[in-house]
Amino acid sequence: MTAPFSSAETAFRVADRVRRAPGPWDVYGEAIRRFEIHINGDQVEMTRGPIQLEGYGYRVIAPHNGGVRVGFAGSTDVSTAGVARTIEEATIASRFSSFPAKDVSLPGSLPSSGTVLSADPELWARPEASIERFVSEVLAPFDGRKDVRPSFGSLRVALIDVTFANSSGAKASFQRTSAELEFAVRSTAGPEGPGSGEYWVNQRSCCLDHRAIASQGLEWSRKARDAGSASPTPPGVRQVLLPPEVLSEILPATLGFRLGGQAALRGMMPPKGSAVGGANIDLWDDGLYPYGLASAPWDDEGVLHAKRPLIQSGEFREPIYDVLHGRALSDQSTGGGRRDTATLSPWFHFMIRPNPGPSTMVLGPGDGGSDQEMIEALGEGLWVDQLGYSFPDPVSGAFGGEIRLGYLVKDGKLSTPVRGGTVGGVALAAPGEPSLLRSVSAVGGRPTLVGQLSAPALSVGSLSVAGA
Amino acid sequence: MPGVVEVDDLLARLLHRIERHAPYAEVMAEETTSHLVRYDRSATVVEPSPGFRGAMFRAWGPKGWTEAGASGLEADSLTTAADSLIQHLGFAGGAPDPPGESSTQRGEASTKTQQPMGEVPVSERVALAQTWFAWATEVKGIRNAYATIQSRTDIRLFLSTAGARTLQTIDRTRGAVAALAIENGKVEYDFTGRGGMGGAEILAEITPERVSRAAHAAVELLQAPSPPVGRMKVLLDPSASGTFAHESFGHGAEADQMLRDRSYLKPLFGKVLGPESLTLVDDGSLPGGWGSIFFDDEGHPSGRTVLVDHGKFIEALHDRETAAALHRRATGNTRRADFLSRPFVRMTNTFVEPGAMHLEEMVREMRDGVILESCTSGIEDPLGGNMQIKVKKGHLVRGGEIGPIRPSMALSGRVLEFLTAIRGVSRKEDFEMSPGYCGKGHTDLLPTGTGGPYLLSEAIVGPA
Repeated sequence: MTAPFSSAETAFRVADRVRRAPGPWDVYGEAIRRFEIHINGDQVEMTRGPIQLEGYGYRVIAPHNGGVRVGFAGSTDVSTAGVARTIEEATIASRFSSFPAKDVSLPGSLPSSGTVLSADPELWARPEASIERFVSEVLAPFDGRKDVRPSFGSLRVALIDVTFANSSGAKASFQRTSAELEFAVRSTAGPEGPGSGEYWVNQRSCCLDHRAIASQGLEWSRKARDAGSASPTPPGVRQVLLPPEVLSEILPATLGFRLGGQAALRGMMPPKGSAVGGANIDLWDDGLYPYGLASAPWDDEGVLHAKRPLIQSGEFREPIYDVLHGRALSDQSTGGGRRDTATLSPWFHFMIRPNPGPSTMVLGPGDGGSDQEMIEALGEGLWVDQLGYSFPDPVSGAFGGEIRLGYLVKDGKLSTPVRGGTVGGVALAAPGEPSLLRSVSAVGGRPTLVGQLSAPALSVGSLSVAGA
Repeated sequence: MPGVVEVDDLLARLLHRIERHAPYAEVMAEETTSHLVRYDRSATVVEPSPGFRGAMFRAWGPKGWTEAGASGLEADSLTTAADSLIQHLGFAGGAPDPPGESSTQRGEASTKTQQPMGEVPVSERVALAQTWFAWATEVKGIRNAYATIQSRTDIRLFLSTAGARTLQTIDRTRGAVAALAIENGKVEYDFTGRGGMGGAEILAEITPERVSRAAHAAVELLQAPSPPVGRMKVLLDPSASGTFAHESFGHGAEADQMLRDRSYLKPLFGKVLGPESLTLVDDGSLPGGWGSIFFDDEGHPSGRTVLVDHGKFIEALHDRETAAALHRRATGNTRRADFLSRPFVRMTNTFVEPGAMHLEEMVREMRDGVILESCTSGIEDPLGGNMQIKVKKGHLVRGGEIGPIRPSMALSGRVLEFLTAIRGVSRKEDFEMSPGYCGKGHTDLLPTGTGGPYLLSEAIVGPA
C-alpha cells in the first residue's frame, strides 16, 4: 500500500495556532485507533477498542549563545487552551535548555504521499474483522491437539494517522499500522512436568501476515515441546549461531546508539572509517524498507528517508543523525530523527522528542546459505533460539541473557534442545577487543525482517556460555 | 480541557447509561502531568508534559470483559467512548454478573510530601542536576555524567455501577546519576538513583558519597577483566535481591498466571520453599514507595501481602476474578499502566524482608563467589521457573575477602533451587528500595519498587 494522505489533521490544527511564532518549530501529531483481543487458553478473555488517542508534540528551537535552546512538550489536549498551554510550557522549558547546534534549519516542503509500504490495507479498512480473523488463524493449529495448547496471548493493533508541520512550511502526512502479537504455547507432556514446556513469542510488525501464521504455529508447538524436554545447557566457550530473532534484540539497540549522534556528541562513537566488524559485515539503515516498523516517506522531523550505509566490509561509514545532532557535529541530518527507542517504548510517539536512532537496520546477506546450510557448516556448536531477553546496554555495548531455548549442533545437525545458563558478549567493542561484530565467521544468505532488523543468521565464534 | 474531578458527574451518568446494557460497568479516568530535567556535558534537556488525560470504560457482557476509551475528557469524546462500548457489548439481557466481588470502596487520598515538586522552580531543578554532574565529574577519569530529575503527578478517578468511587493523586519523584568513563574507545558507566512517592525530599537522598561511589566504579570497570563464568555462590545486593523478589518470584505469584495454569508456583501453595530467614512481601501501601498506590484500578484499597512467610509460600496477588476463582480476597493489586492499558494483576513494591546476618559475616560465609551489584534488569519466566537477572557490576570474593571489580553479568538458574540454596539474609541496616518499571510481558510498563537487604545463595553466572 502506498502511504496515502492522512485524513487526520492533528499537527496541522496545532500548527495553525503557532503559525506566527518565531521558529524554527515543528509539530508531530498522531491520531490513533487501537483494537485488542486478549486470549486465555483458546478463549477470548477480553476485547478492547476502539481506543481513540489523539496527541501532538511541539518543539521550538531558538538560537542562544552560539548554540540553541530547545523546548519540547507533548500533550493530548487539543483544545485551544490546551494547545496554548503546551506551547507556553515548551517555550518556558526552552529557556532552561541548551544544545551545541548552530544554524539549525528544519526541512521545507515534503511529499504529501510517498511510495513506502507502511500500512496493512486490510487492517486499515476492516480492523475488527481483520484481528478476529487473525486470532482465529493463530489458534487454528492447536485445535484438537493434546500435546500442545495455547497458554495466553494478545493481539494489539493500532491504525495511526501521522501528521507533521513546521515553520519552514512543511506539511505532510501518512498512515501507519502496527501490530503486536504476544502468544505463549505450552506443551502438556514434558518429562519435567508442568511448568517447563512453554514457547513465548513477542512479535512487532507493520502488518498481519495471514499466510505465515499457520506454519509459525506448528513451529512454536515444536519449540514448546522441545522446551519441555530440554537438557541443561552445557558450559564452555563455543561457536554459536544467532538467528534474526535474537539479533533483533541486540543490534538495533546497541549499534543504533553507538553509531548515532548522541554517542558522537559525547565521544562514544567510533571514528568514521574505523574497522568495527569483520570484512563480512555490511549494515544499512533503511527508512524505506517495505513494512519496516519505522518505514515512512520521511523521518519523525520531516527529513526524507533513504537507505544509508552504516558499516561496509566491516568499516564504519555513516553515522545516524537527526537535525540537531547533525548541526552540532557540523553535518546534516541523515534522516535519523526518531521519536521512539530501539528498546521498550510506547506505541504512541508524539510524547517523545526526536533523537537520533535507526529505522530498519538491514544486515546484508552473506554466502552462508540457508539456516540448514549454516548449521551443517558449523558442525559443532550451539544454536541460540531464544534468550529470556537480551536487555542490551547501548552505552557499553554489552548484551546477554538466559538461554530460554537452544539446540546443540552436532555433526552438522540440530540435536539436543537445551535451556538455562547464559550467553553474552559485547556487540561493538573498543579497537583490539573482541566483539560480536568482529567474531562473525559466517553470514547466512536468507534474511528475515524481525522488529527493527532485517538479517540472516550469524555464526559467531567463541562466545562464552555459562551452563548448568 | 476539564480535569478528572470536573467530569465526575458526567462519567457517573455515562456509567448508568452503560448499565442498561450490562450487569456491571466501571470507568477509570486519568490525568497526568510530568516534568523531566536531564543534564550532561553536552546538553541540558527540560521537558514538561502538561497534559496526558483520558478515560477507559470497562463492562461485563456475554463476550466477557469489553473496553473502550479515548484520550481527552471532553463530553463528546467520553460519550463517544461509552456509546462505542455499548455497541460492542452485544448485550441481549440476562447476562450473569461478572466474576468476583465488585468493590464498593469510596475514598479519596493524596500524596503527602514534605516539599512538593511543584514548588521547586525549573531553575533549581537544573541547578541540582548540575551539582550532581559536578560530583560525578570531579572523579578522575569520568568524562561525562547524566543527571536526571523526573517528577510526575498521576490523578486517577475510579467509578463503578456497584457504587465504588475512589480518587487518588500520586506524586512520584525520581533522581538518577550515571557517570561515564571513556578510554581508547571503551565506554563504561555506573549509576545511582533514588525514587519514591513524594516530592523534592527524595532528591536529597542523592548524596555526594553515592555519586562518588558510582563514578569510581565506572572508572574501575574500564580496566576490569571478564566476569566469572559458571555455577557459584552469589551475594545479591539490595537492587538484585529486590529484582529477584519481583521478577523471579513475584511474577509467578500473580494469581492470573495461576488461573492460566502458567505459574510454576501454583502446585507449591502452602509449601516451604526456602529457609526460615526468607520472607517476601508485596506492599502497595508502603509509605513513600515508588510503586505505592492508595487504591488499585478495580477500586480496592492497596495493602501489604506476605507472599513467603519465613520460607513458606502462603499467598498470591489477586484481582477480583482470581480471588473468586481461588477463594481468596482481592489484594489491591489490579493495575493499569495508564488509562489506555488493560488491567492485570500487578506488583507494587516487592521486597525481601531483612534478616539477621551481618554483611561481613555473609562474605566470610560465601568464601568464594561473586557479589552482584547495580541491577539493571530482570525478566520473568512464570511457567518455567527459571530466572534472569542482570547487573552492571560485581566484585569477586576469594577466601572470604572482597576482591576486584567485574563488569556486566547475568545470573540464571532455577528459582526453586536458588531459594533452597539461600544461606543468609542481611540486616535492616542494609535494606534499600529501588525505583523501576515493570512490564506484563514486554508491554504495559508501570512503576514498581523493588528492594531488600543482601541475599546469599548459589546460581549460574555469566557475561551479559
